[in-house]
Amino acid sequence: MPKTRGGLAAILLGFLAPWGALPLLAQSEDPLAVGRRMLAEDNPGELWIERGKALFHQKRGPRGASLEQCDFGMGPGKLEGAAAQLPRYFSDVDRVLDLESRLLHCMVELQGFKRDDVVRRAISRPASDGSDVEALALYITSRSNGMKVNVTLRHQKEYDTFKAGEYLFHRRAGQTDFACIQCHGEAAKRIRLQDLWNINDPKHIAEVASTWPAYRGAHFVVRTMQWRLYDCFWQMRLPELKYGSDTSIALATYLQVRGNGALIQVPGFKR
Amino acid sequence: MRKAGWVWSVVGASALVAAGCATYPDPAATRGIAEKMVREDFTAPSPGLLKRLEQDKAQQLCSKIGGAALTQEGAAEVVKLSRASIQYPASGKLVGDWKVGNKLAHDGAGDRIQGGRLEKRKENGGLCQNCHALAPGEVNVGNVGPSLTGYGLQRGNSEAIAKLTYERIFNGWAFVPCSNMPRLGATRHLTPEQITHLVAFLIDPQSPINRKQ
Repeated sequence: MPKTRGGLAAILLGFLAPWGALPLLAQSEDPLAVGRRMLAEDNPGELWIERGKALFHQKRGPRGASLEQCDFGMGPGKLEGAAAQLPRYFSDVDRVLDLESRLLHCMVELQGFKRDDVVRRAISRPASDGSDVEALALYITSRSNGMKVNVTLRHQKEYDTFKAGEYLFHRRAGQTDFACIQCHGEAAKRIRLQDLWNINDPKHIAEVASTWPAYRGAHFVVRTMQWRLYDCFWQMRLPELKYGSDTSIALATYLQVRGNGALIQVPGFKR
Repeated sequence: MRKAGWVWSVVGASALVAAGCATYPDPAATRGIAEKMVREDFTAPSPGLLKRLEQDKAQQLCSKIGGAALTQEGAAEVVKLSRASIQYPASGKLVGDWKVGNKLAHDGAGDRIQGGRLEKRKENGGLCQNCHALAPGEVNVGNVGPSLTGYGLQRGNSEAIAKLTYERIFNGWAFVPCSNMPRLGATRHLTPEQITHLVAFLIDPQSPINRKQ
C-alpha cells in the first residue's frame, strides 16, 4: 500500500511540480521555479474571465435578471475597482460582505436563485467546467487588475470583522491543535514540498490579497478565497466552513487589510 | 473660508457621533463576536463532530494573537494540564513495531470532513511527514517542525528515551507549551498503541530514520 501510494505520489509530483507553488514563494534555489513561471504566463484561468463576463450580463434565474444592478460598493453594476475595496459594510443587509457573499446576495435577491442551490454549486469539482460563481468572482475581480487592494475600516462592523478575523487566524482548535498561524507565521516553511506563505512577510501577504481567484493546477479549475479557507479547515480536521459565512468574511477581511497596497493581478496561478 | 471650515468641522463631528466613533473593539468584545461566528458558521455530519470547534483550556491559553507572549503562569498551567493528559498503552510497552510506525509517519489522512461526510478509516495517519524530515535522503517532507533524521542515532534507545519520546508525541505541550506540534495522543488523533509504533520508528536502530548517512 505505501509503495503504491509512494509510486502514485512520485508520478503526481513529477506531473504537478512544475506548476508548483506561488511563484513569489518559490525558493530561489528551486530548480523548478523557472518552469512554474513559464506556465503561469500562460494561465488557463484566463478562459474563465470571458465566461464570467457573459454570465454577468446575461438575464438569468427565476427573475430573468442580469447582475448589472448588483452593487459591489461602487454603485449598481460598477465593477472597476470594486473587488479592491472588498470586504466592506453594506447598509442594505447591515453586514460586512466579501466579494463572493455579495455576489451570492445579488444572485438570490436580483436573479431569484435559491441560496442553497447557489451555495451547493459554488465550489466546483476538480477537473470540471467550474462553477458560475467561480467564473463570476474571477471576472469581477479581474476588473480591478492593476489596482491596489484598498480595504478601509470605517463602519463599526468593519472594525469588528477585522478584529474577529485576526482572532480566528490565531484560534487553535481540534485534534491537530492548529490555527492558521501554525503554518502561516514563520519564514521559509513547507508542508511536505508545498511552500507556505508567511503573514509577517509583506511580499507573501501581498500575494495572498491580490491573486485570488486563481487557477489551481492540481484541480484544473479556478478556485476562490472561499474555497481556500474551506480547504484549510478541512485539512485541520475541523467541521466544514459554510460558504459566505461571517467566519469566512472575517478571515478574508483580516487578510485583505493586511495586504492593502498589493497590486491585484488575477487569475493567480497555484499549485 | 473660515465659516466653511467651521461648517465642515460640525458636519464631520456629527458624522463621527452618528457613526458612534467607530473603532477597534476590545479583546473581550472581539472574543464574543468571533466565538459567535464559530458557533454558527460550520456544519458537520453529527453534533459530536461540531464539538471539535470547542477549545479546551490549553488551546485557549495557546491562542495568542500576533505573537503575544504566553505568561509564566499560563505556560505553567499548559504544562500541568498536558502532563495530566498523558496516558500509556494498556500493555505498558512503549516501543512497538518500527515498520508499522514508518507507514504511520508517512500517512497524512484520516478524520477529515468533506461533503457532509467523515473520512472514516480504521485509524488515522500520524501526519509526521507533513512537518518533519524523516529518513536520510527523503525529499517529500515538510520543515514546520524540526528534522527527525537520525533521531535515535543522537539519543540512543534507552527506556528513558523511549518514555520521553512517547510522551512528547502523546502531548508535546508538557515539554514545550503551545508549540506547533499537535498533541496527537491527548486529542485522540492517535491511539496509545499507534504512538508506540512511532516511538519504535524514531529510536529503533533498524529504522530507516536511523540509517547512517
